[in-house]
Amino acid sequence: MSPNPIGNRVEQLAQSLAEHIVPMIVDAIDIDSIIDKVDVEKIIERVDVDEIVERVDVQKIIERVDVQKIIERVDINAIVNQIDIDSLVEQTELGSIIARSTTGILTEVLDVIRAQGVGLDDFILRWGNRLIGRGKKVRKWPKGPPLLVAPQAVTSI
Amino acid sequence: MTTVPVPSAALTVGRQGNYAGAVSRLAAFAADVGASWGLYTLGVALLNAALKLVSGHSFTLSNHQLPAFIVLTLWEFLYFTYQWAVSGKTLGMAILGLQVVTREGAPISGRQAVFRTVGLGLTLLTAGIGFLGIVYQRDRRALNDFIAGTAVVYDWDARAARLRWIARKEGPAGIPPPQERRV
Repeated sequence: MSPNPIGNRVEQLAQSLAEHIVPMIVDAIDIDSIIDKVDVEKIIERVDVDEIVERVDVQKIIERVDVQKIIERVDINAIVNQIDIDSLVEQTELGSIIARSTTGILTEVLDVIRAQGVGLDDFILRWGNRLIGRGKKVRKWPKGPPLLVAPQAVTSI
Repeated sequence: MTTVPVPSAALTVGRQGNYAGAVSRLAAFAADVGASWGLYTLGVALLNAALKLVSGHSFTLSNHQLPAFIVLTLWEFLYFTYQWAVSGKTLGMAILGLQVVTREGAPISGRQAVFRTVGLGLTLLTAGIGFLGIVYQRDRRALNDFIAGTAVVYDWDARAARLRWIARKEGPAGIPPPQERRV
């Protein structure tokens, strides 16, 4: 308490005034418009990011990160599907490794026979049905049994 | 290195599980006829040799037409039924990368294997007409498939085959094969 009784009363008056006026002023201020006026770019330019980074203990942050949880959230299949494996094999030594480890004369012969067979199968199906005027209808035929191919898929022949 | 060009992705990748066509199936059947006939001939020759060794008399099954026909029929029945029941594919089908599945795409049962073999015999009796469904029917099913409730699909790992094809090539333009690169 102030030893001066007048000073004491003025202090109380000022406090009660402040209690009434400050909320009114705060309500009256349009914070959004103030923010709009602020040039954030300029502020960012003045920030020394390197200094902030130097102060951050990255090691501690890494220790707190649950990598397992992050991995669980990542759709690895989607990432793998985005990889162009054909060009990967073509452009890297991976191709020669695959060739050395899996290719034999018999495999090569089988690959050729099977691929030629598929090509001829398509040819016979296409022309066989074209001869009886069902060439377009064949395109809508299912590619395979429902358990083995997606139901929405239609033959591309 | 092979000179065979890499087939288009449409012919290889993504064909696994698709209905197999007439040429692949005919080639597989031809391979099976050859294999089963070869095994039959070998078996008969071994039987003859064993009988001659034991009894000292020569026995030729082909001289007895009716028993030979019955044994051959039974052998063909066993050849196809057993392989279809065990793995869904015969030797010829394995070479061509085909598999017998149910209409829905599941593995077939032993009962279906039996019906399919009997149906194959009936289909052969139609002088080829029973096979027309492979080309003109939406599920590419022959008469024996209808009888057994089955379908034939491509089963070979076409994706791996394509990668092997690409790998066998000399490599992209300007990049020599690995063994020629400077270390």
